[in-house]
Amino acid sequence: MEYKNVLTTCPYCGAGCNFYLQVLNGELVGVLPCKSHTVSQGKLCIKGWNASEFVTSKERLTRPLIKQNGSLIEASWDEALTTIAKKLKEYKEIDPNSIAVLSSAKCTNEENYLMMKFARAVLGTNNVDHCARLCHASTVVGLVQSFGSGAMTNSIRELENADCILIIGSNTAEQHPLIARYILRATEKGAKLIVVDPRAITLTQFADYHLRQRPGTDVAVFNGFMNVILANGLEDKKFIEERTEGFEELKETVKNYAPEHVEKITGIPKDKLVAAAMTFAKAECASIVYSMGITQHTTGVDNVSSSANLAMLTGNVGKPSTGVNPLRGQNNVQGACDLGALPNVYSGYQSVTDEKIRAKFENAWKAKLPENPGLTVVEMMNEAANGNVKAMYIMGENPMISDPDINHVREGLETLEFLVVQDIFLSETAQLADVVLPAASYAEKEGTFTSTERSVQMVRKATEPPGESKADWEIICDLAKAISSKEFEYKSPAEIMDEIASLTPIYGGMSYERLQRGGLQWPCPSKEHPGTPYLHKEKFSRGKGKFFGIEFKEPVELPDEEYPFILTTGRIMFHFHTGTMTRKTDLLNKEVPTGYVEIAPKDAEKLGLADGELVSVQTRRGKIETKALITKRVSEGLIFIPFHFAECAANVLTNPALDPKAKIPEYKVCAAKIEKIKG
Amino acid sequence: MIENIRHLARKWLEAKEVDAIFGLKEQDGYIAPHLFTDASELDNLTISTEYRLCYTCRPLKEDILSLMQGKEPDTRIGIVARGCEERALIELAKRNQLDLDKVKIMGIACTLEEAKECKCEKPYPSNPIIGERVEGVSEDEDVNTLLNKSLPERLEFWRHELSKCIKCYGCRNVCPMCFCKDCKMEQEVFCKTGWLPPEIPMFLFIRWYHISERCIGCGQCEKACPVDIPLLTLFKLLRRDVKDLFDYEAGMDAEQEAPLLTTLDEMPIKEEVPSGV
Repeated sequence: MEYKNVLTTCPYCGAGCNFYLQVLNGELVGVLPCKSHTVSQGKLCIKGWNASEFVTSKERLTRPLIKQNGSLIEASWDEALTTIAKKLKEYKEIDPNSIAVLSSAKCTNEENYLMMKFARAVLGTNNVDHCARLCHASTVVGLVQSFGSGAMTNSIRELENADCILIIGSNTAEQHPLIARYILRATEKGAKLIVVDPRAITLTQFADYHLRQRPGTDVAVFNGFMNVILANGLEDKKFIEERTEGFEELKETVKNYAPEHVEKITGIPKDKLVAAAMTFAKAECASIVYSMGITQHTTGVDNVSSSANLAMLTGNVGKPSTGVNPLRGQNNVQGACDLGALPNVYSGYQSVTDEKIRAKFENAWKAKLPENPGLTVVEMMNEAANGNVKAMYIMGENPMISDPDINHVREGLETLEFLVVQDIFLSETAQLADVVLPAASYAEKEGTFTSTERSVQMVRKATEPPGESKADWEIICDLAKAISSKEFEYKSPAEIMDEIASLTPIYGGMSYERLQRGGLQWPCPSKEHPGTPYLHKEKFSRGKGKFFGIEFKEPVELPDEEYPFILTTGRIMFHFHTGTMTRKTDLLNKEVPTGYVEIAPKDAEKLGLADGELVSVQTRRGKIETKALITKRVSEGLIFIPFHFAECAANVLTNPALDPKAKIPEYKVCAAKIEKIKG
Repeated sequence: MIENIRHLARKWLEAKEVDAIFGLKEQDGYIAPHLFTDASELDNLTISTEYRLCYTCRPLKEDILSLMQGKEPDTRIGIVARGCEERALIELAKRNQLDLDKVKIMGIACTLEEAKECKCEKPYPSNPIIGERVEGVSEDEDVNTLLNKSLPERLEFWRHELSKCIKCYGCRNVCPMCFCKDCKMEQEVFCKTGWLPPEIPMFLFIRWYHISERCIGCGQCEKACPVDIPLLTLFKLLRRDVKDLFDYEAGMDAEQEAPLLTTLDEMPIKEEVPSGV
């Protein structure tokens, strides 16, 4: 008999909890929390506790599939790879940019690195992106322009010692439960908690202030905070003087955002705004925590830069328990960005347009690399629908549920001449593919994930992949070889990490030898470097921190007579993203079996709705049917739909309008109407 | 101490007194439960108060030892067990989850520091082979503080603590005594599903009630709670009540029947019929 426990990193959110997978005679029998792990400390959320179940699901893909006469038929690896290699070579010869690649925030760092190397060096295109575009593209752009580095500035456990925490657009208790742990601990030690959110999220019950803004008015809220702080002389003058630039521009802009004016824009009573702003400014150590509630807007970059403005104005950057802390949604969305699965940068955010950097990668990869930035996620789907992108390779993503305006996504994917999907399940997207490749799950391979606090952590193999499925890194290597590349001869993920370290300064000191003993937070430039718990200590990554004077702009689509409600979307505790994993987990399905629309009691009354009744929700993009959940969590005029559920997919409704810089879609605000379905 | 344990484990394996040793293994600075079948591995056998060897595997809802016995009923397993682990084994066997005849206990007594850390009332197994027996913690500060509060204060205390619950089920998952296949916590009839915080107090109450006389006081539930609900304090009070009411302490006596499992052989208690009806 063999029984062992294999330490690994949770495949759900970006908190980066570690746990052991329990393996009895080669079978997964459960999950055991890891007591010595810095964030999880022997605790997990409901998703983590159940993270072994989907791995053993009978629905796992076990053999490659090739579409013949409209049906996906089992095939050998040889047939599948030969077919893909032949097709991709044809498109490459005509125009490499007719191919687009989606990498995956669920896959390891090594796999993301290989996928972007494959796209650039083998296929010859920079058309490589992934779902970070849909969640934190605005963070990467916004924090780079303000600070010079687009990641969470501080570490998760530092939150516990903050004196004030401002949470804006993050339902932390449900989306990052183990991060909420440290926020709750801070409040129990006396920290002030300010929650800015249109919904009465779980943490509001412990908040000193809950400011309920009209969705999409976050810039006005931030400017209001800063107006109050400046009016009361509570800004950190020394910090502004020594560490920042652009203060005059900021001052000019925010002087127009007096609390009365902000109340008119946001709906937040002015007294509450003033009190919260004063509380924030007076705290010794104040942390800002945010997530997709501020990033998924056409003003996403503006929102992120505004949060950076507020942190700098009060001197809350570059020391423990402060900072601007975006919480990344996926286990490895930080890593997928770090490793360059983005159309404009190689690993470590090194620009594809910088000749010297391009020469470095050309030299290492022995290939001529494309010079211009490629297409982003939503642009890829548009170009697919227009016929300019003809072939697409999707690894571990499910845009048929996750992307905005799904009807348009379907049109794009169906217009493609050739679609390859590599996944662990036959997802809604895989069902549209010409070739489907079966991949190993996190429990069946080795690699690393990078958590939201920039911590690179080991993922270890516990069991064998089912059937003929293979680790994504092996599939990419096999395919590259089938297209006759000689630069994909890796014996193990450790070797890939060594190549990453040699080309990526922020990962320069990473190696499996070090990572086996625990996570390392980047920047970690050398083998002796201990890693970096918080950024911008004496100097910002870009030198001086930059203030931007940012004016409030309305969301693209506002409610009107025909579509009188504001629809906002998001996630819930019991499911994850497109449900590919959580909806194959018994306990999670017991908790929440299907989707719903949250509607305020007064609105429900006007529509003659009772709790649980079936309604149709319609926007200019499409229409879904779902059941009504009558709750005060939403205010009047606002409805909320979780986006996990294919049968009532919120993203049929959402607006694909993009932030001009970050190209992130406006998931958080669109106009909708809701009608009772007479039964 | 650890050398003595390794030595004994090696002896048991080599003399074929057991086929495997269930203990904790240290690797790369991490400690986790492990089944040692080869004496050469035993240099990595270690002890730690952080992990217990009796826990229920999810989603199978079965104790790890019970799963092992299910796979290979004839395998004799030696287990390095502290007092609380022995109590769990006894209580599990009492409830037909384990065959104790196939388990050989290598009892270790906890140190005073370990006993204090776990606020343990009985930090030793019935027959400690390794370590010196120390007295348990009789006075619990958290329990006393709570009992000194007024009833409304106590209600408010628990209302606040329970409102933090994020429904991870971690307290149930780590509990060696929570092995029910049809766990009541998951059932809509007891607690509205899919809602946070879960209904106060039913979600946690249903478990507390259900294991009140099984709880062996290991405190693993409290340590698994991501929001620091003081579950050990609660269970200490429940265990005290069970002892007062039924003179029963879970895991102490393999022969004593558990009160909630007992069928009343004597005359059932007669309902009192009020006079004059």
